[in-house]
This record gives sequence, C-alpha cells and structure tokens, in this order.
Amino acid sequence: MMEIKNVYEADVLVVGGGVAGLMAAIAAAEKGARVLVAEKADSRRSGSGAAGNDHFRCYIPECHGPDVERIVYEVLHFSQVGQCHDPHLTRVFLRRSEEIVRKWESWGIPMRPTGQWEFTGHAYPGRVRSGLKYDGKKQKAVMTSEAKKRGVTILNHMPVIELLKKDGRMAGAVALDVSAEEPSLCVIAAPSVILGTGCTTRLYNNMATPGWMFNLAYCPSNAGGGIAQAWRIGAKLVNLEMTSRHAGPKYFQRCGKGTWIGVLRYPDGEPLGPFVDKPDRACGDITSDVWNSSFTDVMKNGRGPAYMDCSGLTPEDYDYMMWGMDSEGLKGMLNYMDEAGIDPRRHAVEFMQYEPFLIGKGLEIDEHGRCSVPGLYAAGDMVGNFRADIGGAAVFGWIAGEYAGSHIGENAAFSDEVVCALPHVAEVRVLCEKIMNRVGGCPWKEGNLAVQQIMTDYAPSGPHTARSANLLNAGLKYLGDLRQTLLSSMSATCSHTLMRALETLDLVDVGEALMHAALERRETRPPHNRADFTFTNPMLGELFLTVRKEEGNIVKEWRKKDNSR
Amino acid sequence: MPPIIDPEKCKGCGTCAQICPVQVFRFHRAEEKTPRPVFGEECWHCNCCVEDCPAGAIRLRVPVPYMMVHVDADTLKPARSRHDGN
Repeated sequence: MMEIKNVYEADVLVVGGGVAGLMAAIAAAEKGARVLVAEKADSRRSGSGAAGNDHFRCYIPECHGPDVERIVYEVLHFSQVGQCHDPHLTRVFLRRSEEIVRKWESWGIPMRPTGQWEFTGHAYPGRVRSGLKYDGKKQKAVMTSEAKKRGVTILNHMPVIELLKKDGRMAGAVALDVSAEEPSLCVIAAPSVILGTGCTTRLYNNMATPGWMFNLAYCPSNAGGGIAQAWRIGAKLVNLEMTSRHAGPKYFQRCGKGTWIGVLRYPDGEPLGPFVDKPDRACGDITSDVWNSSFTDVMKNGRGPAYMDCSGLTPEDYDYMMWGMDSEGLKGMLNYMDEAGIDPRRHAVEFMQYEPFLIGKGLEIDEHGRCSVPGLYAAGDMVGNFRADIGGAAVFGWIAGEYAGSHIGENAAFSDEVVCALPHVAEVRVLCEKIMNRVGGCPWKEGNLAVQQIMTDYAPSGPHTARSANLLNAGLKYLGDLRQTLLSSMSATCSHTLMRALETLDLVDVGEALMHAALERRETRPPHNRADFTFTNPMLGELFLTVRKEEGNIVKEWRKKDNSR
Repeated sequence: MPPIIDPEKCKGCGTCAQICPVQVFRFHRAEEKTPRPVFGEECWHCNCCVEDCPAGAIRLRVPVPYMMVHVDADTLKPARSRHDGN
C-alpha cells in the first residue's frame, strides 16, 4: 500500500518552483497568505531557468519613453513571443514589468550588470529594443531565499500529480514524494492553486538526436503536468494547436540563440536574413526569431545548411557574448566547446530548428492570472494566451500570487479531512500502487517514446508537414489505445520512475487536448498547417480557440481576443 | 554516462543529488560516500551539479551524438573562390 505520508494545509498552493511559481509564492506571502510550493526538483535549480537566463522583456519608461503602446506593438508584431497574446495581458504585463525588474535588482539579481539599462539581442536595427540584458545565473537561488524570508514553505522533490476540485472549485492537490527511493503520497488542502509547471517538452520525437529525449533546450522535467492536470479537472486551454519550435546549435539543443552575436549565413557566406551582415552586439541576428522555419527551409531548398558565424567579432564583443552565455546558463555547452576545440571566433556552428513543444500555449488566464476553474491560477510558460518567457513568468507569477494572496476568502477552503476523502485521492493512490506493484511491465520510456511517435506522425507541426482531420482522428484513436495500454501495463521500480510514468500519462492527455484543438482549427495558420484546409482564414485571426472537458465531453469554443486597454 | 563524479574529490555532501533539475542522482547517505548518477540518460547537461559541487568533483561527458557540427568560418564563401584557394 502506498501511504498518504503527510497532509498539508495552505491558503495558496504553488505548483512548480520555477520563475513564475517562486514569484507567485513571494507575492502571495507578502499579502499574508500561508504559502506552500510543491516543486518537482529543488527550487534553487529547477525548470527552464535553472542554470540562468540573460534576457528579460520589459518596459522601462526612462529608456523607452512614456508611451507603453510603443513596446506593446513591438512585442505583439515584432517579436517571437507575440503570436498568441490577448493584447490586454501584454499591456498588463508591460505596465508591471519595471516594478518586477527593480524588485529583482533589489534582491541582488544583476539587472544592470554593466551599470546601465542595456537592451541587446533579439532586436532589429533601428527599432526599439525591449529585451533587457541581465545576469540570471543565480536567479533561482535568490528567489528561493526571498520566498523563505517571507515564510513560504518549499517542498522539494514533491511533484504535484493530480489537482483536486470539489463543488466546482479548487480543493487542493495530490503530490508524489520522490525524495526517497520508495514513493509516498501527500495531500495538500488549498483553496487557491497557482500552476507554474513551465513549457511542455518530450511530446514530440527529438529532432536533434533521435532516441535522446533529454537533449532539450528547455527543461526536460517540464512534461506538461499542470496543463494535463488542469485539463482533467475541466480548465480551459487555449491555443494548444499552435505548437512552437525553438532553434539553436545543431545536435546540441540549447536556448540562447539571441545571446549569440553573429550572422546566420549560407555556406556561400550570404546572410540568411536582411538584418545584419556583420556581428552586431546590439541586435544579434534576429532572422531565426522572425523566420522561424529558416533552418528547416534551407535544408530542404538546397541552400543550407545555415551557420552562426561570429568570426567578425571584436575582442570586446566576443567577451561580451561569452559573458552573456554564462549568464544564460550555457556553461555546460561552453565547456563542451572548449573540450571539442570549437572556437566561435574561428568556427561557424550549424543551427537547426528543434522539435515542436508547447510554450505560451496552455491555460487560459485573465488579467489576475485566474483560470476558468475558481481558485485555479496559472503563470509562466504554460499559459496559452500570453507569452514573454522569463519576464512574463516573473511578472504574471507576481500578479497571480498577489491576487490569490489578497483574496484568500474568495474560495472557501475545505478541511483537510474533506480533501483527503475525495474519491480522486483514492483513485490516484490506486493508480500509483498498480504501477509500482506490477512486475515486468512497460517502463515509462517506452510509453514516452510511443507518445512522441504518435504526436510526430499524426499532429505534426510545420514547416513542410501538415495535419488533416483524417490524421488527427487516427491520432486520437491511437493515443486512446496507448493510454489503455499504459494504464494496464506500465510499471515502475522506484519513486523516480513512477514520477516519469505519471508524466507519460500527462503527456498523453496534453497530446489529446492538442489534437482536439487542431481538429477544430479548420485553416492553415503556421505552424498549424492543414492539408485539408490550406488557406488562412482572416475571420479566425481575431479569435482564439479554447478547449476543455465537461462531463467527459470535449467543449471547443472560439472567442475574441481581448484588446482592451 | 554523464555526469561523472571523482570519488577521490567528492566529500559526499549530496548537493548534486539535491539540486539536479532532472534528478539524475541517487544518494543513500547512510550507506554510500558518493552519489550515483543512476539516471544518466536523463542528464540535461545544464551543468548545475558541476557548478554547485563545493569540491569541484563533477564533470559532464557530453554524448557523442550531441556533436556540435561546425566548419571553419573562413570557408563560408562562394564555392569558386574556395576552389581558387582564396
């Protein structure tokens, strides 16, 4: 029998101690809430910001002038993050962003490491720049310490595996204690739950190194947990069909393409894009942000491969780039380059487009970070109607925490006895016991690879691939079959492999939700290409598609984007 | 498999096992002196363990398929001029 080892009570439960989660926890605690963070790993080094980051999108009036709309326009129309925004949320984010930047600075995160506000990288020549260059190498340790100072309880090695709802509102969650080899369960009773579980990786075949599913730019622990769990309790998901694809060094998946200072070139030396023809410290080469499919396109059209050529860098700019990579958390890659004798001053590194994943696609939120289920909030990379990466996670994490912490009575709490007695708790316990007690079953990795092969073939993401109703319907059938196979045959031998097995089941749910949304979007809007609807329907350009589960049925709804000011 | 801990240098503090974002390590403090990277295939190569190890006892071995393919930057020019040796 798997024990319920502990029962916790909190006013606000934060799921995931990444950038969004820690900011939510700090803000809620400042408002007087009893806050508990349930973190899969250790909040000092977890999530996609674990090793660092170096760009924080924000609006700093003393640099950008008094009109926030100038930056709103840039984010929505000139950045790689602006595709799926409710513009109202963009405005809310940018108006609060300076305050959060200054908070980070006051906590000791270097936001002006050169002594002044510096906006470099991910930029166009001659246009306003909004990516603040900062040094985020220690950001997670700093935020963890700030959370603890405010009395936040952080439970590390405690991934939430199921959300609990009663009478239509949040009641808490079940978490899996993976701190010891033998797994155990915890129940957390909380009327407000803030999700910050990051992007969804491991959903598609790894395109850099097939078979190496942890070779990823974003944190491989981010397996769509919050999205899947929220989907299961009926929360609205939005823009799920609009999968993203990141890009960077070929075969060695890393973030930080905006940190490289070079020119993307064809083998004949011609630049891919029109923006720079020599390394430019202020801008970088934004070609791959704008022309998302570039690296795939040039492999198909005979002109590739494409290289990042930094050979024209001045010594000062080279030092600046290498410092930026360290801030971005790329020390592991730099060490590898050193050992392999790869010197960006002499060598041009090939770049590629990585496999599809979900970032800025997922939970629908309002301006306070609230989701459609009362008491549920979300922030960061898992949100579906807003995306601004680190800055977005920090600011909307704060907004959600602040709101949840100052509206503690908005959803009345259930007692821990009531929460522990919810039928769902027993169901989760039985599922975990079955997986642990089964001998000689299917290891999680087989299940995860099976999800990936189905998603890659039946819900492909552009360029040069297309979805169709036939493929998506077949994919839904196969994912349903796979779920049954996994439920009846998956086995685990310890807390770690049980955690991965449950992640695999979450990925099946995320994949299904994505396919339902992709079926409903009967148009082509890259990267969502439909072989059976090849045109882009302007009527849908002002709308967002949401999907949710209601009593076993899939509800798909279109709504207008919120453009209010 | 990555990461690799030097047992001579390792002080057995368990920091790596505690902080790894993908939980590559197992460490039974009572029975063993050094954490074991038992889920090495799940390493993200984020370098956090290397950086946080107070004894400097950890290095990463990057798997061969992760090879960062590259060329000499001065070959990025039209094929004809390369042929001419320029």
